[in-house]
Order: sequence, then structure tokens, then C-alpha cells
Amino acid sequence: MGEVLARFDAVTMQFGDLVAVDKASLEIRSGEVLAVLGENGAGKSTLMKLLYGVFPPTDGTIVVEGCPDGISGPAEALRQGIGMVFQHFSQLPALSVRDNLLLAWPKTPFWKSRRNRATGDVLSKLRDMAPAIDPDTPVHDLSVGEQQIVELVKVLNIQARIVILDEPTSVLTPAETDRLHGFICQLAADGVAVVLITHKLRDVEACADRIAVMRRGAIVDVSYRGERSMQEIVTLMMGKTVDRKLPSPQPATNPVDRLVLQYVSAQAAGMRLRDISLAVGRGEVVGVAGVAGNGQTLLAEVVAGIQPVTYGEVLLDGERIGRRRPGETLSTPLGYIPEQPRENATVEQLSLADNLALRDLAEGNRTDGSTSDLLCRFNVNPPVPDKRAGTLSGGNLQKLVSARELGTPRPAILACYPTMGLDLAAIELVYEHMFAQAAAGAAVLWISEDLDDLLAAAHRIAVIREGAIVALETNDGTLTRDRIGALMAGMASVSEAA
Amino acid sequence: MSTVMRFPLLASVLTAACFLALAAAFFAALGKPPFEMLSSLVVYALGDAYSISQTFAKMTPILLCALAVAVPGRLGLISVGAEGQLHAGAILGTGLVLLAPELPGVVLIPLMLIAAAIGGGLYGWVPGMLRARLDVNETIVTLLMNYVSVLLVSALVFGPWRDPASQGWPATMKFPQGAVLPAVPDTRIHLGLLVGVLLAVGLHLFFNHGKWAQKIRILAGNRKVGEMFGLSYAFWVVALMSVGGAIAGIAGIAEVSAIQGRLQPTISLGYGLTGFLVAWLARHQPLVILPISLFVGALVAGSDALQLFAKVPAASAVIMQGLLFATALAVPGLLARWRTYRDR
Repeated sequence: MGEVLARFDAVTMQFGDLVAVDKASLEIRSGEVLAVLGENGAGKSTLMKLLYGVFPPTDGTIVVEGCPDGISGPAEALRQGIGMVFQHFSQLPALSVRDNLLLAWPKTPFWKSRRNRATGDVLSKLRDMAPAIDPDTPVHDLSVGEQQIVELVKVLNIQARIVILDEPTSVLTPAETDRLHGFICQLAADGVAVVLITHKLRDVEACADRIAVMRRGAIVDVSYRGERSMQEIVTLMMGKTVDRKLPSPQPATNPVDRLVLQYVSAQAAGMRLRDISLAVGRGEVVGVAGVAGNGQTLLAEVVAGIQPVTYGEVLLDGERIGRRRPGETLSTPLGYIPEQPRENATVEQLSLADNLALRDLAEGNRTDGSTSDLLCRFNVNPPVPDKRAGTLSGGNLQKLVSARELGTPRPAILACYPTMGLDLAAIELVYEHMFAQAAAGAAVLWISEDLDDLLAAAHRIAVIREGAIVALETNDGTLTRDRIGALMAGMASVSEAA
Repeated sequence: MSTVMRFPLLASVLTAACFLALAAAFFAALGKPPFEMLSSLVVYALGDAYSISQTFAKMTPILLCALAVAVPGRLGLISVGAEGQLHAGAILGTGLVLLAPELPGVVLIPLMLIAAAIGGGLYGWVPGMLRARLDVNETIVTLLMNYVSVLLVSALVFGPWRDPASQGWPATMKFPQGAVLPAVPDTRIHLGLLVGVLLAVGLHLFFNHGKWAQKIRILAGNRKVGEMFGLSYAFWVVALMSVGGAIAGIAGIAEVSAIQGRLQPTISLGYGLTGFLVAWLARHQPLVILPISLFVGALVAGSDALQLFAKVPAASAVIMQGLLFATALAVPGLLARWRTYRDR
């Protein structure tokens, strides 16, 4: 057990009426990975932002070793060797990895060159961690996982004693996640205190030495690795026992194709779709698996009629629903859950009720307010129809969009990472409604990063790589995680030979 | 913004107090007695019938230009083109009068207003189309197009449209009586003000009620979502830019017809830019634009007279406007910041 580097003592943080952190007491020790586990809005990020000095606590004290006056702000935190990697990266995409690292380094000289010592210093950690990343690559050419590593190197470069990672695996592929887990363990072995904010049990299983569970702002439990079973931890986190039950796929009884993609090609910034043909039948759930950034987003936007096709057709029950040129006005008949609902699916200035009734409003109809009970059915918090959508947290916005898209019967559902950022109870709710739509006859196209969920509930799984569908497998029980993973990584021939 | 909503009274009182203090300091720096100056400013703006007439005369183009900016502003577009659209409207309206000066007023005035609206509207349509089809930034295009129509007015009145009887003065012939907008007798309060007030009320209803208001709100809030549900961003960009331009065009011909009596290079005293600032102070709400443009009109009229009678420099009017806009933008912002700081 290492020395105590920071201690929270009955820390409370209030935003107006909302108690985000409630009398939390916690120690952070060197050489140890502390997982802070909790559902969306449990106060995990807020607690750690207090340590990082983003805002001062309403009540209580935070003592940082070697810093008796406390942390006054993030700049002071960095000087004291506390670094935080946020969910949203702060990098300049057009600059190279080297320049981004130099920008973030306090000791960067006025004049920089390829050869001087500063450049060598900032790059040494990068070489240790990820020798494959070329420092001259512009950051926008890196994958999300690589960007995360650059972000982590930025923090390590300041000789951090405490490294806080906020939901680091939420955007990573399984392989990238495994690699990050390795880095985290390595950091702890080097004597750094690592705080891992997460709501994924896999992160905890992989590398946590100590687990703090938060619920509604309070730390409800702190235990050492192995002291508690995962089931117990989930119970503590949720406040009730949840065992995720997904309906096992029933063979689609009436195989009539509803949602059909014919030779679809399309192009958008940095991405192209090549000749995609796929048919989703009545009542069928087709999953799309792939490493993030292989064209999933473009595929979703083409099917939803947002991005135009350059060739081919998207048909629903024989009618064209894809856009042929950018200016065409077209209203999508699909129930569409896009990724990043704040940017892609809601109007923040409008009320929750108006956001639920966007289709009617866009068609120029009056709303009748009958949509309000959707807020309760989908656990949108707060369930106040007049509240502005922009005030909701990301998870609640996602629930709001799910309520709009899944709350009424649709001919087809297009879901793009529909559970991202949701807690376990909300994930179940979304799945329940999504599969109920399928049972009622909708064609469901489901883009997901969660292979276990896809394998548990999809009838067929398509694998997308570099903008093309490279495989379409029937999920008959023999399909395995490894097989899909190999297809995603483009090693199908290897695994078939083996 | 939320602070302004929650404490409109506190914010306005503080803004007014800060503005008066700064204006007093400005006069003191000029070596004039500050309080005397401030009180004469009020007298020159509202003291007698003539002053009031001047105030409303200045308010009219400012009101119309502010509406011209607010209309595309409701979709989130930033148009700085009111000045250019004003001149474009003046050109087309004047062109029609020069073409058919003998028409009776009942025919000529409506035609003139329509021509001016078309002129300004086309001048808004061009940046609208560029934005809608090619995604060219409307702020830059409108800014640059301002120079073109302002200089075009000069080119016309120095060249083909110069009145031979004016002995070299760069201006068209005096407008015939049938082309002068009707006005309240013995004042400079003309039909343009009525048009502006009616437009403000009409636009308020349009942007706050009915299905079009809903569609514009959705597109302004999230273009992608609006288009997903079948709304056309391109259509509304072109429509609102054109309508805004048309309103500024009316401001142009009203100045030419009712105030100057002829087209000449000095028809606008920066009304386009003043209108832009008024529109942003009012957060693009037509009914809020009404009182603000009246206040700014009074300030412009008052400081104009002050410059004449109290021998303050000509730039004082512009400096006073600058002080007003700076305080009106800074004080609510500082207030909001202070409140968040205090609420911690």
C-alpha cells in the first residue's frame, strides 16, 4: 500500500439545488489504481474535478500531499502533479502529435525544432507507451484510441503523481481497451496514483486495486480487489439487483425484406462507403459491428437520409428513403437514434415536449401534449415537459431521443450506439423497446460496439470495415466474439485458416 | 442571457447608470460641463416638436435596418449587409422614379417602395444563395457587398444620374412631389416609420406563432435535425436573407424620398451598422427593437444638435453611440458573471 497523496474529507458539492457530491471521504494512494464506479450522474466526474480544481467544494476539505493551501485551479493542479484526461479530448486536430504534446508542456521553449531537447523530452513517454504512433502525424489522422494515448502522454509529461482518467474506455474498441488497461497497470506499478472513473465493470475487473462505488453523489462503499464479487458491486452501484436479460434471437418468422440497401456508395469528410448491399427483414434485428471510424456514422446518416448517396438506393418497403443530392428535402420515416444526441438528435433551445414532438412541429402540425407520458416511461430526469432540452445531461438526452424514436410504432429502427453513455437500467429499457419494435414487425438495423450484446440479441451480424460490409454472419449460436473480432480487424482469413 | 431575463430591471438600470457616467466623463474630458451637456442632450432629443420630429426621423432607418438584421438572425445567420441593402434599395427605387417621374403619387409611391424592396431583397438573395448552395459565409459576403452598392450610388450620381441642373453637385434631380413619402405635416416623421412599426409587429407574430415559427426555431437550433425531419435549411436561408434585404431596401428609399429628396452619396449615416447593433442588443426580437431604436434615434438626433449648438466635435455622436452599445453589452455580461461568482 502506497503513501496517501490526496484525501477527501466530507466533501460536498452543490450546484443550486442539486447535490452532486454528498459528504464524500476518500483517500488516493500512490502505486494504486482506484476505480470510481457509478451510474450516469452519480457524481464521479464532479468528485474528481474537485480534486483537479475545476471548482472549489461547497463544503469539506481536500488535502493534497505537499500542498497545504489546497488546489486553486487546474493550473495549480498541474503544477502539483495532478493530471486529468477528460472524456472530450483537448487537442488541436490539424497539428501534429509532436506539436500537441509541446503545446501542453509547461517547459516548452519559445523556439522549437525537431532536434532540440524539449522535443526529445516530450516524445520519450510517447515512445515508451506507443512506439507505433508517428509524432509527425496530424492528430485528426489518429484513431480515437491513439488520440487517447496522446492525451494520456500529455498528462504523464508533467510528471503526474496522480492521473485521473474520466471514462477512458467509452470510445475505445475492445483491443484498444485491453491496451489501455495494460498502460494503467504499468502506471500504477511505476508508483503513480491512477484514478479510473468508469461505469464499466470490465474496466474494474481488468485493473482496479481498490473500488469506490458512488450512488447519488455519495460514496456508498470502498473495497479492495477481490473483497466483493462483481454482483455485489453492481448491486451497490444500482441500489437494486440487475441482471441484464436480453431476449435470445427468435428466428424471424416472416422473412419479408423491409429495409433494403442496394449497392449504396457515399462519401463524406475522410470516409467513404463502398457498394453496401444489405436487407433487413420484417421483425429482424441486424447488428453492425466494426472498429469505430470504419464508416458506421456515415452508414447511419445515409440510411437516415441525412447524407446523400453517390450511387445506389436505400429503400423502405420499396420506397426510396435515401437522399440523392444534398439540398433535397426528405423526412426520414425511420426511428433513428444517432450517436451524440446533443448534436445529432435534439434542439437544445426547445423544451422536452417540443423535442419529443419534433416530427409534428417540422411538419407544421400542432402538438397535443400527449407525448409527455413518454418522459416518465423512459425515465427522463427531470420529467418536466417545459424544461429546455439543453439543460439535460448526456444520458438523459439519450433517453429523451430513445423515447421519441422508440416510443411509438415505427416501420424500421436505425440505432447507432443507442446505449452509449447510459447506465445499466437505461440500457435495458432501450433494448426492451428496441426489440419490442422488432417483435411488432419493424426492421431493426443496430450499429453497436458491444459485441456481447450483439451476439446475445441480433439475428444476423454484419461486419463493417473501411466503409464496406466484409461479412454478414447468421447468429446461430456458433458465432463467437473472437470470430467477429477477427473480421473487424481484417484477419478473417487468418482465423479461418487456424 | 439568463441574468438579463431574470433581472431585466436591474440590468437596464445599471446599464443606463453606467452609460450616463461614461457620457459625463466623456464631456468632462472634452472640457465641457458634463451635466449641462447631458441635460441639453435630452432637450435636443425630446425638448420640442422639432426635436421629436428629428428623433423619429433618425429612428426610422435604424428600426428598419435592425429588422433587416433580425430576420436572418432568427435562423442564426449573421448578416452585416443592411448598409449595402439600404443603398441597393435606394438605387432601384430611385431608378423607377427617374424612369417614370410623371406618374401620380398613389401609383408611384407603392411602385417605388416595391422596387426598393426588390433591390434590397436581391442584395440579400445573393449572399443567401451563396450560403445555401455553396456554404459561403454570409457575414463576409454581406460585409463585402456593402462596399459595392455604396460605391455604386456614388458612381451613378457622379455619372449617368447626375442632375444637369445641379451644377456639378453629385446628386440626382429632386424627387417630384408624387414620389415623396407622405409625412406628418411640418415634421420629418414619414410613412417609413409606420411601415417599420407594422413590420416589427408583423415579424413578432410571424416568428413567435404558427407553424413557420416552429420550423425556423428547429432549424435555428439544430440544422441537421431539422433537415432529418424534412425541413429545408436552404429555402429558409434564401427566404430570410431576401426578406431582410427587402426591409433594408425600404429604409434606403425612405431616406432618399422623405429626408434627402434626391439620391446622393450621403443618404445613410451608418444606419446599417447601427441597426446591426440594435438588432443584437434586442436579441433579434422585433418588439424589443422598437424601443431600442427609438432610444438610439433620440441619441443620434440629440448629439447631432449638440454638435451644432454646443460646439462638441462631429465625432461625438458616434462616440456616444459607441459608449451606449459597449455598456449595453458589457454590463449584463458582467452582472451575470458576478452572479455566478456569488452563487458559488
